[in-house]
Amino acid sequence: MKKGYLGVDVGSVSTNLVVLDPDGKLLIKKYLRTNGKPIQTVQEGLYQIGQEIGEEIEIAGAGTTGSARYLISLIIGADIVKNEITAHAIAASSIDNEVRTIVEIGGQDSKIIIMRDGVVTDFAMNTVCAAGTGSFLDQQASRLLIPIEDFGSYALKAKNPVRIAGRCAVFAESDMIHKQQLGYNTEDIIAGLCEALVRNYMNNVGKGKEILPPVMFQGGVAANQGLVEAFRRYLDMPVEVPEHYGVMGAIGVALMSRDASRRKGATGFKGFNIQEISFKTTSFECKGCSNACEVVQFYENSELLARWGDRCGKWEV
Amino acid sequence: MSKIGIPRTLAYFLYYPLWKTFLDELGEEVIVSPPTSREILDQGVKDAVNDACIPIKVYHGHAAWLRDKVDFIFSPRLVSVRLFGDFGTETFCPKFLGLPDMVRLTVDKLPPLIDTRVGIKKDPKEIFNIAADIGDVLGKSAADCKKACRKGLEVHKKYQKLLSSGVLPPDAIAQLFPNEPETNNKVRREEHQRQRLVRKPNREEAGLNIAVVGYPYAIYDDYINGGILGLLSKENVQVFTQDMLSDKVLNRQAKHLLKSTFWYFSNRAVYGGLHYMKQKRIDGIIHVTAFACGPDSVVDRLLEIEAHRHSSKPYLSITIDEHTGEAGIRTRVEAFIDMLNYRRDKI
Repeated sequence: MKKGYLGVDVGSVSTNLVVLDPDGKLLIKKYLRTNGKPIQTVQEGLYQIGQEIGEEIEIAGAGTTGSARYLISLIIGADIVKNEITAHAIAASSIDNEVRTIVEIGGQDSKIIIMRDGVVTDFAMNTVCAAGTGSFLDQQASRLLIPIEDFGSYALKAKNPVRIAGRCAVFAESDMIHKQQLGYNTEDIIAGLCEALVRNYMNNVGKGKEILPPVMFQGGVAANQGLVEAFRRYLDMPVEVPEHYGVMGAIGVALMSRDASRRKGATGFKGFNIQEISFKTTSFECKGCSNACEVVQFYENSELLARWGDRCGKWEV
Repeated sequence: MSKIGIPRTLAYFLYYPLWKTFLDELGEEVIVSPPTSREILDQGVKDAVNDACIPIKVYHGHAAWLRDKVDFIFSPRLVSVRLFGDFGTETFCPKFLGLPDMVRLTVDKLPPLIDTRVGIKKDPKEIFNIAADIGDVLGKSAADCKKACRKGLEVHKKYQKLLSSGVLPPDAIAQLFPNEPETNNKVRREEHQRQRLVRKPNREEAGLNIAVVGYPYAIYDDYINGGILGLLSKENVQVFTQDMLSDKVLNRQAKHLLKSTFWYFSNRAVYGGLHYMKQKRIDGIIHVTAFACGPDSVVDRLLEIEAHRHSSKPYLSITIDEHTGEAGIRTRVEAFIDMLNYRRDKI
């Protein structure tokens, strides 16, 4: 059997799974909606992958990233758990080792990663503001009754993008409504929204960063051609969107799992059929002190595997 | 003998040994509020004005915790502790200046505050007048106050010595007052013992050395900053803060700036950051800043610019507020450490 390396990126909106061959070539990818159920989504995704390629591929290493990375690492038996920033940087430089700026916009967060000579030298994530992330676009698309997939192409049809306030998602929305009421057409408003998001991103996440080409734009939002164009115009430089832009985090951590499992000598991967295992989490409020931490307990079948959420560490298994 | 409450936040981290010794020597009983907890934070958020920064809100919570347990709350009005800066008017941030009034007017059923004005701009000896003013409230003689204050300054000196030897303030306080149950909870003591074993700068191949700068009440309060120092020490990082540097070393950095800021704690953070940026053994700088902090809008940008200009030392700014999730801080810290490690491997 051929060897494969599994990467799982569980974010707030989407759950992405990829399997790479030992040379880093993508064999299969799954892009699923998390829908607030990370465990089931990963179980389902792995099952699908197992059905499709489980016969010919043996998983030799597995890694997790994304906001649910610790939880999911227990479920799949990951060899490495990495933060999203490192994962995205590794993935981008595997495609273009000259890349110097990575723009990543996901469901609820956005980041910029600055690389020089193949090494991350600076990065930033959005702080207290989620304007300009995928969730906001999703919401506006459904408000305009436009499928999110077509959002970008509408923007490309615009002749005169309308100026929309991009400081804050709430203001942007009321500004959009206002512009609609005044009679501007939808294409121009959507294009204006794309430009507002880019401005917001640059002033918030990109503030003070030295942005040099090549620029790579990845994350689910890179599907939006209107936004890609808006970035090109704003930066006045080419913006490259990699083929598998939506699953770059998963690709990055799959690449890292290759080294991690080699170092370990074996993989901890539990197999594709973890659907048969019952994973359960329960939580309780610790009464030990006035912090009242919400402690989560994680069970595989009936065995307690881990606890987290306590600040003092007294519940560690 | 009166019971005097000291909120465990803000200037506590720099001046507690002085205050505690002074009040002890006068024969008063000092009660410190426990480390910030969810209960304290929630109470503070409820009581304080909405647009204050999180440390100020936390202070309200600590004051509220103390209110039915003490006769007085020690909340000196910290105005200025030195003549310094371009106009000779370095002060504490405006919120410190108005703190006793803010707390008195927003937290219900507070005992009287000891809100003596602390302005020691011209002459260090002015501290004895302040001591006498405090003693006045407590009915103590000027002579006793002077003696107690001397003793306090002695302990303060010891404290600063511990800090400059690389001990973090909460650990140094635990060392100076080992029998104090509240100050010195068990976790803290164990942590302290563990840290004593490793408290040496990490050499090349070992772990990283990271300077964490910012206001003492942001970097040493494990609850509001998501336990950032603990996260770093778990990753085998040796932490350095501006409070481990002497005033002399800090002030030397002032001449490298076009202009200093107006605020005492801000200047300390900036100078500390500047100093560490020039140290070869320091791998990166983390600035912990409070959301909605006015001075930090200047400080953070200044540090970022200087980090790029002088040394191109990796710089990470972490913003905390009452909604801060530990996960967000963890992701950033992990990515920062990865970045430093990869850089180090490359060189």
